[in-house]
Amino acid sequence: MRMLGWLYMAAIFVFIFLPVIVLVLFSFQDSRLPVPPFDGPTLKWYGQVLADRGMMEALRNSLAVAIISAAVALLLGFFAAQGLARVKLPGSILMRGLLIAPMTVSYLIIALGLLTVFNNLGFRPSLWTTGIGHVVINLPLCFAILFAAMGDHQKNAERAARDLGASDLQVLFLVTAPMLKPALLAAFFLSVTFSWDEFIIAFLLTRFDVTLPVEIWSMLRSGLSPATNAIGSLVFLVSIVILILLELTVFRKSKT
Amino acid sequence: MTMEQQERRRSFGFAVPALIWTCAFFVVPFLVMLVLSLAHLEGRQIVQDFDLGNYVKIFTEPSLFKGIVVSLEITVTVTILSVLLAWPLAWIIATQVPERYQRLAIMLAVLPFWTSYVVRSYAWALVLGQNGVLMQGLIGIGILDEPIQIMATRAATVIGFVHFFVMLLTLTIYSNLIQLSPNYARAAADLGANGWNTFRLVILPLTLPGIMTGAFLTFVLCIGDYITPQILGGNNELSMPQLIMLQLGRRGDFPMASALSVVLMVIVTLAYAASARWLKMERV
Amino acid sequence: MQNGKISGFGGVAALLISTSMVQAADLNALVWCDHTDPALLEPFEKAHDVRVNVKEYEGTAAGLAILEQSRPGDWDVMVIDTVDVGRAVDEGLLAPLPGDALPTASFFPEIVMEDHNGRDGKTYAVTEKFGYNTIAYNSSKVDPADMQDMSSLWSGKYDGRIAVYDYYLPVLGLIGLEQGVATADLDSDAVEALRDRAYGLKAAALQVSDVVASQTALATGEVDILIGGGEWVTAVLSAENPELDWSVPEEGALRWSQSIAVLEDSENKDLAVEFVKYITSPEGQARLATSSCYWGMPANKAAGDVLDDAQKGALRWDEQGDYLARTQLYPVPDADLDLAMQDLWTDMLQQ
Repeated sequence: MRMLGWLYMAAIFVFIFLPVIVLVLFSFQDSRLPVPPFDGPTLKWYGQVLADRGMMEALRNSLAVAIISAAVALLLGFFAAQGLARVKLPGSILMRGLLIAPMTVSYLIIALGLLTVFNNLGFRPSLWTTGIGHVVINLPLCFAILFAAMGDHQKNAERAARDLGASDLQVLFLVTAPMLKPALLAAFFLSVTFSWDEFIIAFLLTRFDVTLPVEIWSMLRSGLSPATNAIGSLVFLVSIVILILLELTVFRKSKT
Repeated sequence: MTMEQQERRRSFGFAVPALIWTCAFFVVPFLVMLVLSLAHLEGRQIVQDFDLGNYVKIFTEPSLFKGIVVSLEITVTVTILSVLLAWPLAWIIATQVPERYQRLAIMLAVLPFWTSYVVRSYAWALVLGQNGVLMQGLIGIGILDEPIQIMATRAATVIGFVHFFVMLLTLTIYSNLIQLSPNYARAAADLGANGWNTFRLVILPLTLPGIMTGAFLTFVLCIGDYITPQILGGNNELSMPQLIMLQLGRRGDFPMASALSVVLMVIVTLAYAASARWLKMERV
Repeated sequence: MQNGKISGFGGVAALLISTSMVQAADLNALVWCDHTDPALLEPFEKAHDVRVNVKEYEGTAAGLAILEQSRPGDWDVMVIDTVDVGRAVDEGLLAPLPGDALPTASFFPEIVMEDHNGRDGKTYAVTEKFGYNTIAYNSSKVDPADMQDMSSLWSGKYDGRIAVYDYYLPVLGLIGLEQGVATADLDSDAVEALRDRAYGLKAAALQVSDVVASQTALATGEVDILIGGGEWVTAVLSAENPELDWSVPEEGALRWSQSIAVLEDSENKDLAVEFVKYITSPEGQARLATSSCYWGMPANKAAGDVLDDAQKGALRWDEQGDYLARTQLYPVPDADLDLAMQDLWTDMLQQ
């Protein structure tokens, strides 16, 4: 029985890792097509990707949109969680429902709705409109994480601080925020990840300056090439490095 | 004004920016889309005549209606398969892997999450093609004589989806499992339930919230996804998101795209209503 | 710590400003994917110290919809199917070009297409690139003799080994030719009569795919035949896959051609005209012909002096006379017929 369990786990892990291994392996392919037989290794595709102006701009755009939209979503979510967790308001269930609602809707619908509205208003699609869309999808996430993390001991500490004469904002940033640091970090980095990798909103709401997933998509559409494997592997590598750093610093510390 | 009223007013004030954002960029756009779905395209002009023509078309025109069927079939298959594959994995990690390696095992199990979403489907295309790694490998070790056609079929789309959602569900079910005390299982066993009954009557009901949360997320993300069927499905059938993108990308038919989106939204809402009582989101 | 935070925010702000900053001069172009190749754009950008912003679109209907939703001045240049130039002129979207400044004298005469690119003696667009939608195949896997007869695709011999190019105009046009209907005669009745034949093709096909998926399927042996294919799919692969070939069958085939035009609402018309001149110059033409997304014949014969022999061989430079004589233009549907053709196509995909 135990044996069977390990076997099952091994099989699933093979399934989970198969595409990643193939992706990375054929990024070192020498010939033009990333299919067997493997005839590498070469680093030329990495060189090509790193020298690609559009790709590097898209990388920068993605980073900017992800960080800024995550920060806005975090701020809004934090305020809202604070407001709705502290006291029972009439209609607060409705408000919570409204804030969570975008989480239960396909991104495509959110994207199409925003596109329609921006078209009617005459806003040009841009990184800004994409950022607005990303705040819409990440706000529920930040709100839910922070709302769940707010407990009674925070309330007590906040009340104490207020009794000592601290203003609302002082309480929020000097008392509540430090106590919620792990949840805030988790919400922020999850939001960054989601925005960073989001395709359909960015695809419909950008024009010339695009984000990385959109650039990769148009690269895919313009020819099969190990260069696509190379950029995919690079993104994977960077994500893993960030993940390990976070695990070793922020989350390890916060656990103890 | 009493202290309490003041406190309430202040609290509400904190929630206002988020509420405004959600209304302005989520509720209003959806309402605009709803209105637009009641228009139709004449030549290239949008005529706002508030009729249900687009919806009638969706349910009477076979090629559009089939999109709903295709999407539902794929999504239900993917959701069930993902749960069936992920549950045992989460269970094995939670019960058989030594505790100090569990975090590592879970992180490994979801590691491919961190590949770019667009690239992941592309990687499956490389794996599943006739000359791809899988077929060549199976032929190489003598299991197959000839490659089987998987790429550009529904099977390829389902495999691409299941890969992603097994990771997601393993995570939600695992976090549910480790919150259970092993005492439940022991107590049930002491009371004489055999293994199967312990599972069916005790463990499964207790992990249902984790399963349902994951399954609902799977359903929503799967039914709204454009990339995976577009890259892996070979255009042999069109799912709803593909039809929506076709209306936008080829025809510039915003009203029809909006109507299809509204139908998609209704389906997702029904799924939510069906699973709501198990969802953790409700607690929020 | 505080300083670290502040410089962190400063960095993000700088990042954002640098990405959203508009350069001194921008040229905004609504294009097909072959115009996104930096090797094509960079020489022009350097010479004129501008930034060329490109946005891809699929199909004339979607392109015109994008223009309609844009604000005046958003777009300077547009690439469009030559046969659809008239539709854009009807809507007053295009600005007249200085006809005498364009090198049409050295073009392939069949490709100048004045009646499509111009109206009432004015030139509104100029052809830049052309090629064929016909049958591309793997010569080591199929009988080349069969590829001279389009009906062999329906014979059952190649079932499951065919890919269909996912663009309704040329493929429905080809099915029409196979049925003996000239593209110019395709009206709504004639299109409807092609329905069963289209379904039959879908049944014989493994997949219906866009440019890349088509290329990939052919190159990796996933399929052996691509209907709708031509030099635009095989030429780019010719170095590594010499067995990929294409033919114009007895029934004939379709000729595609794309034009470039300056938009009436452009606020940068002079620069836009310069761009058009660059694209139609021998150097621009050679780069466009061998652009990374897909290859195609340059409209300007003078590009032949810039292209090398291998490139000309892959494009089949010397056989153009025969091909030009045996191929027909794309069908030119009005808006209603266009939608009818798209509906038929969607129905076919869902079969």
